[in-house]
Amino acid sequence: MKTIKFNKIVMLLLALVVVTSCVKDDDFDTPDLNIEEPNINPADVIQIPALAGILEQSDESIVSFSETGKYVSGYVVSSDEGGNFFKQLIIQDNFENPTRGVKVLVDVSPLFVTYEVGRKVFIKLDGLAVGTANGVLSLGFANGNSIERISFAEREDFIIRSPQVETIVPKPLTIAQFSEENENLFIRLTDMQFNRNELGKTFAAEGGDQFDGERVIESCATGNSVVLSTSTFADFKGLQVPAETGSIDVILTRDFFDDFYTVYLNSPEGINFDSSERCDPAEINCGLAPAAGPNQLFFDNFETQTINTPISGNGWTNFVEAGSEAWEAYEDNGANQSLGISARCGSFNSGDASTISWLITPEIPLANANQATIEFKTSNSFADASEMEVLFSSDWDGTPENITSASWDLLADATIVQNSDPFPDWIFSGIVDLSCVENNGYFAFKYIGSGAAGSDGTYELDDIIISSF
Amino acid sequence: MQNLRQRYIIHLNNVILPSNYNNFLIYSNQNQFRMKKHMLTLLLCFSVLGFAQAQEATIKGRVVDTNSGEPIPDAQISIQESIHSVSSDTNGNFTISSSDLPQGEQVLIVEKNGYTTLRFPITIESGGNLNFDPILMEVDFAEAQSQIGVISLADDELDQDDGTSTNVSGLLQASNDVFLNAAAFDFSATFFRPRGYDNANGKVLINGIEMNKQFDGRPQWGNWGGLNDAQRNRDFSMGLSPSDYTFGDLAGTTNIVMRASQYRSGGQVSYATANRTYEGRVIGSYNSGLNENGWAYSVLISRRFGQEGYVDGTLYDANSFFASVEKKLNDAHSLNFSAFYTPNRRGRSTAITEEVYDLKGRQYNPFWGKQDGEIRNARIREIEEPVFMLNHYWDISEKTKLNTNLGYQFGKIGNTRIDNNGTNLVLLNGQESYIGGARNADPNYYQRLPSYFLRFENPNAVDYQNAFLAQQEFLNDGQFNWSNLYQANQIALNNGKNAVYVIQEDRIDDTQITANTILSSIVNENVTINGGLNFRSLKSENFANLKDLLGGSGYLDIDAFAEESIEVLASDIAQSDLRNRNRIVGEDERYKYNYEIDATVAGGFAQAQFKYRTIDFYLAGQATQTSYQRNGLFENGYFPGERSFGESEKLDFTDYGFKGGLTYKLTGRHLFDLNGAYMTKAPGIRNSFSNARQSNDVVIGLESEKIQSVDASYIYRSPIIKARLTGFYTTIQDATEIGFFFTQSIQGQGFNNNAAFVQEISTGVDKLHIGGELGVEAQVTPTIKLKAAASVGQYTYNNNPNVYYTSVDFENPLTFGDGTSKLKDLHLSGGPERAYQLGFEYRDPDFWWVGATTNYFSNAYINVSKLRRTDAFTTDTDGLPFNDYNEDTARTLLQQEQFDDYMLVNIVGGKSWKINDYFVGFFATINNVFNQEFRTGGFEDSRNADYRSLSEESRRDTPVFGSRYFFGNGTTYYINAYFRF
Repeated sequence: MKTIKFNKIVMLLLALVVVTSCVKDDDFDTPDLNIEEPNINPADVIQIPALAGILEQSDESIVSFSETGKYVSGYVVSSDEGGNFFKQLIIQDNFENPTRGVKVLVDVSPLFVTYEVGRKVFIKLDGLAVGTANGVLSLGFANGNSIERISFAEREDFIIRSPQVETIVPKPLTIAQFSEENENLFIRLTDMQFNRNELGKTFAAEGGDQFDGERVIESCATGNSVVLSTSTFADFKGLQVPAETGSIDVILTRDFFDDFYTVYLNSPEGINFDSSERCDPAEINCGLAPAAGPNQLFFDNFETQTINTPISGNGWTNFVEAGSEAWEAYEDNGANQSLGISARCGSFNSGDASTISWLITPEIPLANANQATIEFKTSNSFADASEMEVLFSSDWDGTPENITSASWDLLADATIVQNSDPFPDWIFSGIVDLSCVENNGYFAFKYIGSGAAGSDGTYELDDIIISSF
Repeated sequence: MQNLRQRYIIHLNNVILPSNYNNFLIYSNQNQFRMKKHMLTLLLCFSVLGFAQAQEATIKGRVVDTNSGEPIPDAQISIQESIHSVSSDTNGNFTISSSDLPQGEQVLIVEKNGYTTLRFPITIESGGNLNFDPILMEVDFAEAQSQIGVISLADDELDQDDGTSTNVSGLLQASNDVFLNAAAFDFSATFFRPRGYDNANGKVLINGIEMNKQFDGRPQWGNWGGLNDAQRNRDFSMGLSPSDYTFGDLAGTTNIVMRASQYRSGGQVSYATANRTYEGRVIGSYNSGLNENGWAYSVLISRRFGQEGYVDGTLYDANSFFASVEKKLNDAHSLNFSAFYTPNRRGRSTAITEEVYDLKGRQYNPFWGKQDGEIRNARIREIEEPVFMLNHYWDISEKTKLNTNLGYQFGKIGNTRIDNNGTNLVLLNGQESYIGGARNADPNYYQRLPSYFLRFENPNAVDYQNAFLAQQEFLNDGQFNWSNLYQANQIALNNGKNAVYVIQEDRIDDTQITANTILSSIVNENVTINGGLNFRSLKSENFANLKDLLGGSGYLDIDAFAEESIEVLASDIAQSDLRNRNRIVGEDERYKYNYEIDATVAGGFAQAQFKYRTIDFYLAGQATQTSYQRNGLFENGYFPGERSFGESEKLDFTDYGFKGGLTYKLTGRHLFDLNGAYMTKAPGIRNSFSNARQSNDVVIGLESEKIQSVDASYIYRSPIIKARLTGFYTTIQDATEIGFFFTQSIQGQGFNNNAAFVQEISTGVDKLHIGGELGVEAQVTPTIKLKAAASVGQYTYNNNPNVYYTSVDFENPLTFGDGTSKLKDLHLSGGPERAYQLGFEYRDPDFWWVGATTNYFSNAYINVSKLRRTDAFTTDTDGLPFNDYNEDTARTLLQQEQFDDYMLVNIVGGKSWKINDYFVGFFATINNVFNQEFRTGGFEDSRNADYRSLSEESRRDTPVFGSRYFFGNGTTYYINAYFRF
């Protein structure tokens, strides 16, 4: 009995030890995540426009900071949550009505889990450099004349979070207003749609998409267009671009090679296309014909034109609606070969705010033609964001003043060179059937710049044949 | 205190005294203080009941525990250098009766595991009758305590589940074999595997019920961890030698007896402190012994705990409960009920690269970080699988026994990890997309380490600076940052979004019923037969459980890595369950994958053992029917319809085995032993379904393993020296192995596309185990024992097995070249192939003892990447050989790494006291006294497995995806103090 009692006591003691566990169990409390306002003297904080000014006033391509004790402040507008930004934070000087933005390169992924959109941050300047990376104002480590990412280890030394988080109000902007000052800003473009040639494509999962998928979006109000770039690592790369129209909230920047303006989404939530009414031109859709007839209704291979002068004669109307660039004759026997003498139009580096040029055939007698067809060839040289269209009008009166007021229908079945096609190639339109066209009328080759000449390229045209049986 | 080994002269009545009337002597190292009492008892009780005219001599007796007075069953009683050997029954009684007992002065040996062996001279006369009642056996504290040590070590290694946890030492704890003692105690710390066998090649039974898991064939040691005091009674059958309970397997069979009536009455409390896995352990147990009414009960409660073990951040939190009650219904029937429940939580660690080891050392563990100032490990393994069993023991006759058992087990095994792929459903004009997903948050993620910044040739100044900064960051911190995870989820919550990071727990919830019946019958003095029938039914639920939202609101249950193609939408294939699209899951809900496996196993064995004067032999056979079926509860987006949902094809395996062996007793000192077996073995559940989490697909070309094994031993036994020398040869054919990994070298998916998360399925794997073992033990003086052990083996792949790869990233299984991996003659991984030991033990008459061993290990090899040894190695993405392929370079790149040799010195010692009726003692070990650094195992990374990327890697000073290694512990201690009453 004695042992039994003793035993019970021992058991009780043991049970006590068991119950009073001294190993931390898995009920951990949520840690204290409150952030204190960093102890930074407001006098030491400069704004992003001032940062840009420092670079502009310097003769050097980058400016390094040391022993200034200064910080630059801003609000995060980019998010890598959707995978469309990688190891960079775009910050702008204010959460509404911003005036300048800067790209901060930092070797951290993901960033959205720490520096979310709307978060105010201070960037310590000493040890960093300001310069231009991929065409836009950037902050990071100096490496020779280039800007490199802030290291993972030092992220918290250089990027200091404020507890302040604001809702970023996108800055309303039009494509014509794109400028260096507006780079790295979170902007809203309204009354936009994807160009009809992009419909059916994904954002960045087409066979030809490398690094970024580039899709043209255009303004219904002005016809101006811009490339929407989407990383092939974006979570939404496989979505199809929507056919609807509406507003889109994006970050304005330059493409990787600093060739043209482009915009990036943070996520598909930036697209608010709520109207199903597109602003595409009307179309002629007779399909393609198996063969062209023997009767030539119109022909021009531009061999009679004088190079480097605007196309003229043979019934052509050469009309510059906007800007300074007309369709002109040229000859090139280099890598970017012409077909003898060919026609071209391009506004790259023209300085035009907007470039729209028309090259219109004489009136073609289609009303009584039997199974008429049209054929032509096009090529491009870094077309980038510029566009070329082939149109038909039966109500134009033949006068230049009334070109823009006439109704022009798009020749939808004709194949026109794409920006992605190699520049030496000449693309055949196909034998485009015109048998469903019942009236006589005019064919127009129209060049449309994006509205930002730095983003434009050149289209080339040749071997136009209109025939019937 | 006088000399322990005293000689007692026992006067017997009615005995013909031999001329020197030293009728028998008891040599023992028992406690001095009871000797007088013993003598008295012996005088009173021992009697020789005269002799008849018959020529048959009889030796009878009853074996009893000195302290408790309880009978000791299963003690081995033998006449030295003869073939005569019997076991005591449940009442401790034994009888040796034969007409050919050796005459004259002989030595009777009484042995029982855990007790001090008794040897005493007797005189056998033709027709004589000797009755020894009682024979008092004393618990051998040293032995008992070293068992505790072994078990604690076994806890260490066996509870791991990373790659190398396949050591079998836990099986060997009950062995008296000198070699196996070394293997169990001193070799286990380094993953040494006797004969190179996997844990799954040994059977563990408790009360006759098989405990090996159907999942992988391995026993789940965590299910009975901490029950040490209740697991002393073990029957171990070495290798192929016959077990009375089952057919067995290559590496042997251990039956742990956990019957209330079989425990010595009394209690014990012990406290242990150590720095290996747990910091402290307390065990209390009490056993009633069988009372007059035929009842016996036994209870045990224990706790093991620790914030961290030798490796940083490896918490230990384990409670154990055991209860058993037995009723002896009558002389023929006993009914026992035993139950144990050992919930335990362990913080895990992992293999690390050389780079990480150089920076942080062998104690480094990337899985933990501080939260609220406390260590929190992201990878917790939790096991809670209580076992209940009902055992019926029926002595049908004096010679025939039937043991029938019913077992029931249920519960869960959970392994947690961070899931960093929380996303949000974003609709764009009716289309679904999943935005979000973070990256691997492990502090040793390759992009955070210095090597990553120096991965290109000719690094510039900025690269060096970044490498330096990364190194400083890793050196100064290098641990998990829990705040970042909570912060990410809080930001998400504030924006109305789902959690980014959560804790995923991979669960296996098994419910298993086992029934078996085991017959044992002594046909005559030469022949014993055993037989059994067994049935096992398992329902195994496998799923991911959302363990912790880390402050987030919910988790979107889709696969964030789903990449769509022209035919399928990402929004479809990403679904974990097409029948529950885009579900937001909360804590303690199933997500990601959810399926059941139904498994049934039915079988039987029959065995006959023959014992003759100079030769013993046995024959055994078994037949087993195994079937598996998967039942998908989620319809996986990648595998719509029946490919993942509902019942899979039913897999059936019919297996059989034969074995036989003989022992030839040239004399009592020189024995030869020979065993051979052929058996087939159904694959485990784990190796039957190629991608069970996502689909019903079964392994193509799946077959039962075919095992052939033969071993031969020479055994030498003299009063001073015990030795065994064994040679063995085993082939295992048609084994199946499945691995999972991300690789950037899986060619054949098309141009410039060679990255995928793959399942690597190897079938028809042949292995060869060949080698020898030597164990020698010499009792040079009554107090000093010297021992030596050696194992020299070669464990290799014996063919080039078929290997194919599946993935959700490509449609059909991929193979390379002739579809094989060139593994022939490469070494199997898993511990050193050669191990040597020299040691001694000193047992002082004053009840203290000390021992030390020096152990030398060599020829351990890395686990090779199979993908590297396929033709994927030589093939560029266009399907043609690399144009810069160089045979010599390739040979260097594919050289199997052999780890450095190392030497470990272990010291063990203890002392015990008796105070009134209580015993107090302690036991301590110091392992790896000289703090040797050594690798216990490792594996090649298959992420880079082609010639070009490996060449690049080899040109780097520090590889980015280097092989990863397990490192052995430095100097560790273990101290156990106990109190018995």
